[in-house]
Amino acid sequence: MSTGTSVRPAGSRRALRSGGIRWAPYVFLTPFVLLFLVFLVAPIVTALYTSFFAVERSGLGFGNANESVFVGFDNYVRALSDSGFVSSFGRVLLFGVVQVPVMLALSIALALVFDSAVVRWKRFFQLSVFIPYAVPAVVATLLWGFLYQPRVSPIVELLESLGVSANFLAPGTVLWSIANVTIWSVTGVNMIIIFAALQTVPRDMYEAARLDGAGELRMALQIKLPMVLPAIFLTTLFSIIGTLQLFNEPMTLRSITSNVTGDYTPNMSVFTATTLGGNINLGSAMAIILGLVTFGLSILVSVVSNRRRGATR
Amino acid sequence: MARKLKSRLTTALALATGPVLFLAACGGGDDDSGAAANEGPVTIEFWGWVPGLEEAVAQWNEENPDVQVEFFRMTGDDGDKIPAAIDAGTAPDVVQMSVHSIPGHIVNNRLTELTDIAGDWEDRFTPSSWGSVVFDGALYAIPQDSGPTGLMYRTDIFAQHGVEVPTTWTEFVEAGRALKAADPALTIAQFSPNETGFWIQSVWQNGGSWNGIDGDAWTVNVADEHSLEVAEVWQTLLDEELVTTVEMWTPEYWAAINAGTIATVNYAAWFPVLLEESAGATAGNWAVAPSPTFDGEESAGDTGGSVNVIPAGTEHVEQAAAFVEWLNTSDEGLEHLINGGIFPSAVAGLEHEALMVEEPFFGGQVINEVFADAALQVPATWVDGPTFELTQNALKDEFAQVANGRKTFAQALADLESRTVADLTGMGLSVSE
Repeated sequence: MSTGTSVRPAGSRRALRSGGIRWAPYVFLTPFVLLFLVFLVAPIVTALYTSFFAVERSGLGFGNANESVFVGFDNYVRALSDSGFVSSFGRVLLFGVVQVPVMLALSIALALVFDSAVVRWKRFFQLSVFIPYAVPAVVATLLWGFLYQPRVSPIVELLESLGVSANFLAPGTVLWSIANVTIWSVTGVNMIIIFAALQTVPRDMYEAARLDGAGELRMALQIKLPMVLPAIFLTTLFSIIGTLQLFNEPMTLRSITSNVTGDYTPNMSVFTATTLGGNINLGSAMAIILGLVTFGLSILVSVVSNRRRGATR
Repeated sequence: MARKLKSRLTTALALATGPVLFLAACGGGDDDSGAAANEGPVTIEFWGWVPGLEEAVAQWNEENPDVQVEFFRMTGDDGDKIPAAIDAGTAPDVVQMSVHSIPGHIVNNRLTELTDIAGDWEDRFTPSSWGSVVFDGALYAIPQDSGPTGLMYRTDIFAQHGVEVPTTWTEFVEAGRALKAADPALTIAQFSPNETGFWIQSVWQNGGSWNGIDGDAWTVNVADEHSLEVAEVWQTLLDEELVTTVEMWTPEYWAAINAGTIATVNYAAWFPVLLEESAGATAGNWAVAPSPTFDGEESAGDTGGSVNVIPAGTEHVEQAAAFVEWLNTSDEGLEHLINGGIFPSAVAGLEHEALMVEEPFFGGQVINEVFADAALQVPATWVDGPTFELTQNALKDEFAQVANGRKTFAQALADLESRTVADLTGMGLSVSE
């Protein structure tokens, strides 16, 4: 940013200030820093602290003092030896490996189509693709849940009339039914991000390409895509984080099918440990583990993205 | 470039710590009670969810100028706030909660023991509801409502196929076979892995319980002979496809009920009103019979209901208890509760005229006669444990595998037992074999 180059009226105003301390930046920063400390740093520190303690109980647990004692990494060991919690990471990673590329491919394709001149009623269709993002995840899942259920779903009925017996809620398919809901929800917003990036590509590059005899497809693949790569990496990063934190959709679908287990995703395990099990300490440890994994994956994506961008320049 | 990476990392950190934030919101604080108890009117805060409690509170307040009750209607997830509120010392003085969640609160020192104040109220409540609020000889809650079971069945379907209404579980299986033989699309009941109440009521009816107390240790009985007998019935029903697997409360479930492909619902006294709400088109075709019994044993099941507790740290325990006593045992209080649509745990409530009304949906039958008889036949055997919610959650997962044919009921219960033992010992509690 070019903060240093701003023009300052000479003398008069500056003289009013004592010692020339520039306090304005700090005033502007204060709200952010305060909120950052209270709602981000403090909770992380609290969770970290809590995760190293456990409530001491004995016997029936009646009339115990219920004091928290330091237990070191016990909660972490317990979390990592919980096969349901550990395998939920595998499940969301598998989910992400499929859902993120499919969703991004759709977003990119839609953005490119909207960017090309061939679409009529562009605004209408753009809005249509975007609208699902405005539907809360719980509502979206209830809506899709209705479409997944036999007896009430027109989709299942249609498939059955064609001789296909579809079970969207079976143990093997329910994960992809959830993926479908999230793809439906977030494709639009990622499309907008990539589309916005496409708008910043200088139009004269297209003219030059056209003069060199490049068709629309070639321009899309060799000019537009490389130019919006940063935006694609950004959406990838957000999608991966979103995948690891999957909660609303599977939690809502659990009321429709028991094939979504109580520890289906890492966040659902945290919910089970804290809200159902009342064990804040174990839940904190699980949350810290989830945070670390997410952080690690995010760094990985950032590093890869920076390498790639270094290479293309 | 470096700055960009840094800001990206900050973003990543911010997003990654979401769950931590979520947790921190559940943290506790210090007790802030200690306001001086003055002479003059005392104010009591009451959280509950029974429809019409506002009117009950209004009547109490009019008659008791010295003890004024402020009512807060609980909706949605309000129950989840209770633990944090008690730990923070900001809890109401009287709270309605599920009977199953009592021990989880006791082990966290969140409830006031009521033995001295209300220990001799035992005779005023049904034996089963009283049995569920006393732990190791100590009373922690006052029963409010319960869910004794009855067999709601389609009179037209049973008549059409000439099948007798079953009175034992053996007859129930046979009736299921007869109905299926008459109409392959017809099932006598449904299996809903998520609806644990079906399981609990049958285990309870058979004299079982998930937990028990043995000296200074908890027992885990989820896979004992009482449960295994229930498992046998359900394994047969499932294996012979006499039941359809569908989650309760879903559109799919109500579609099946309305289409008349599920012939019976053996469930709690609070279910009929919900049945009428969602299956109005089937009005007049239902009746309620006593639940089938485990061969000859005169007993009924129960899903468990709700109780009133007085959280720890409450200043005006006696006044709070007086209000709870009036609400749950007096004629006026019970009338409000019954009109609110719940089935009272108090014996006086079972004979209350407000309860004994003819139900047009059930062809004019006074269905609560059946449920009132059942309420007195429920064995006083059920004891909840501190990990009830986890056990219930695990049961859903285990039964999902039963529905998928990956486990039998017996295997699922064995796994449920080891999970429950692990959860209890994980809390630092003793478990007796």
